[in-house]
Amino acid sequence: MDKLSALIKIGLSRRKFLAGVGASAGAAAALNLVGCGGNSTATPTPTPTPTPSAPTDADILNFALNLEYLEAQFYLYAATGSGLAASDTTAGSASPYKTVGTVTAGEAAAVPDLTGPQQEILNEIAFEEQAHVRFLRSALGSAAVPMPDIDLSFFGPLAVAATITTAATGAGSFNPFSSFDYFLVGGFIFEDVGVTAYSGAAPLISAAGVAAGYLTAAAGILAVEAYHAGYIRTSLTGRAIAAGSESAYPYLGAANLVEDLRATLTVGNSAAPSTTGSVETLLTLPTSLTMPSSIVAASAANAVGFARTVNQVLHIVYGSPTVGAKSGGFFPNGVNSVFATTTA
Amino acid sequence: MANQETQVLDDIIATGRRKMMTLSIASLAGLMIGASAPLAKAATASYTDADILNFALNLEYLEANFYYLAAFGTTIDKPNAASMAAGALQITLSGTVGTPGTVSGGSQVPFTTIPVASYAIETAVEEGKHVQLLLTALGSSAVAQPAIDLGTSFQTLATAANIPNGAGFSPYASDDTFLVGAYVFEDVGVTAYHGAASLLTMSANLMTAAGILAVEAYHAGLIRTTINYIDPTGTSIAGYTNLISTLRAALSMAGLLGVAPGPFDANPDDYGLAPFSVSLHGGANAMATRLTDADPTNVIAFARNTTQVLNIVTGGGAVNGTTVVSPAIGVFFPAGMNAGPNGFK
Repeated sequence: MDKLSALIKIGLSRRKFLAGVGASAGAAAALNLVGCGGNSTATPTPTPTPTPSAPTDADILNFALNLEYLEAQFYLYAATGSGLAASDTTAGSASPYKTVGTVTAGEAAAVPDLTGPQQEILNEIAFEEQAHVRFLRSALGSAAVPMPDIDLSFFGPLAVAATITTAATGAGSFNPFSSFDYFLVGGFIFEDVGVTAYSGAAPLISAAGVAAGYLTAAAGILAVEAYHAGYIRTSLTGRAIAAGSESAYPYLGAANLVEDLRATLTVGNSAAPSTTGSVETLLTLPTSLTMPSSIVAASAANAVGFARTVNQVLHIVYGSPTVGAKSGGFFPNGVNSVFATTTA
Repeated sequence: MANQETQVLDDIIATGRRKMMTLSIASLAGLMIGASAPLAKAATASYTDADILNFALNLEYLEANFYYLAAFGTTIDKPNAASMAAGALQITLSGTVGTPGTVSGGSQVPFTTIPVASYAIETAVEEGKHVQLLLTALGSSAVAQPAIDLGTSFQTLATAANIPNGAGFSPYASDDTFLVGAYVFEDVGVTAYHGAASLLTMSANLMTAAGILAVEAYHAGLIRTTINYIDPTGTSIAGYTNLISTLRAALSMAGLLGVAPGPFDANPDDYGLAPFSVSLHGGANAMATRLTDADPTNVIAFARNTTQVLNIVTGGGAVNGTTVVSPAIGVFFPAGMNAGPNGFK
């Protein structure tokens, strides 16, 4: 008919998809958030009756909120030595999750010995992730979940898992709060993941959510995460170029080891929408004026950014390849979400 | 009913996605039911995904040719040794809708630093892939490459932005000026795809648009980061970014035709690299860079409708007072964009 009716129709189709999965396999158990990526306008479906267990827009935004809590805590600690204000972590009155989590700080502290411009960069990212927490909490209102338990001491075990043992000093100790370069690798762990998580979530938002502005908000946050990822990857690449070699700047290699680990954690689950498997683009070190850099993480064929399913994102932040994992890694007691369990 | 529908459609025509996003779902449902009425304006509003993707294709033609010329010294359809060595796609200009034009101006930048040269090559390759992707997706519906001015257009914009010696500005002169030229495009690409995302009806197209949006934001982050590293105090090229963003914001606001900005489209809707003050965890204020171009409250990237984008890339050609001018002509598009019957130009 026209695009507005189609817009509504596609939203309803997505709802039906989500509802159907929820009904057949239990609330979130088998939810594959990319399964509705096909052409849903070509085969119109009747208006469904959503089941009570179907994930809602609030479920999707709350999952994102868990990730933003993590990012905000990391960047705020790195920039200032302390985390989110308590008022930014509380439970909405209608949230089924009541307990406000705590942060295991570990070695988390203000990154030392920053130049003025470097400090301003950390301040910016910290502020922006804090703003995302506040925006999502505001958009969710009483449905906002509280901050879950967050473990910022997980960077060490993650680095061991990624076999980052000799970066910079050879001491085998990976601490993203110990220097600007280590900080870049720490931020690298999150940023590409944030981009792909929002890409995976954007098409799932319902027609009502689209009308409420959730889709454009999600797309706008996606863009900001990509700005951040572009910043982190550009910095790592630029500093490696300045150092002259990967051995002189081992943080570039460390970042690529993180990518390898992310791929390993989602092995068997890596069929991303509109891509052919891998959702990682390794950094490279250009050594002449005729070599390209590798700043953008996107499909090699089309230069289209990747998307990850909720399940793939969970594997990464839990630091676990295990199916059925309910917690781990940065979230020692799981995320406050209907999507808390790895499903594939 | 018809009057109400007409008004809603007028609003959509006038302001694009922004207005629609603020409509209640009830209004949308009512519109759906009534849309079979043969309203002339309803027909105008029923653009398709192809119209939206063709609008994006015009912008990708522009970006890809700029980066190909800067990195390789050639246009997207004419491979040379440099483009082939980099693996850049040779684009067969298969689009047939509209009037084909030629690309004028532009030349290979005499790069002297590896970071800037390597970023130029990477970006050229990626923008070429975007052109090819859209051409392939659109098939026989694809618009032809319009006339594109990549020479004097930059001097016109630089002068309008009050960049010192703007009449002599060339993005092909040096690493630094290339970055300024790239800055002109990248944040605009982000806002254009962001504005388009909500208009697409096909899930697969939305996924693709979201993915390209991400890539444009990576590019924008890359450019802003590099400019910040080169000029952290804002005394040269970083200062120019403020001037360019101010100009873009003015052109964008004019494109709103007097309608107040939406929730993610504050006035101004563009920020250069000048540091700003932020409050962290409720504590004392601190100065921050602005490597992200987003609204300073919610830190959500801006979105622009097609009129706003057209008004920027044509240097004000899309608006006359509160009236839309179509086709918009000027600056980068001296003969306007190409579009289908209900498309955007």
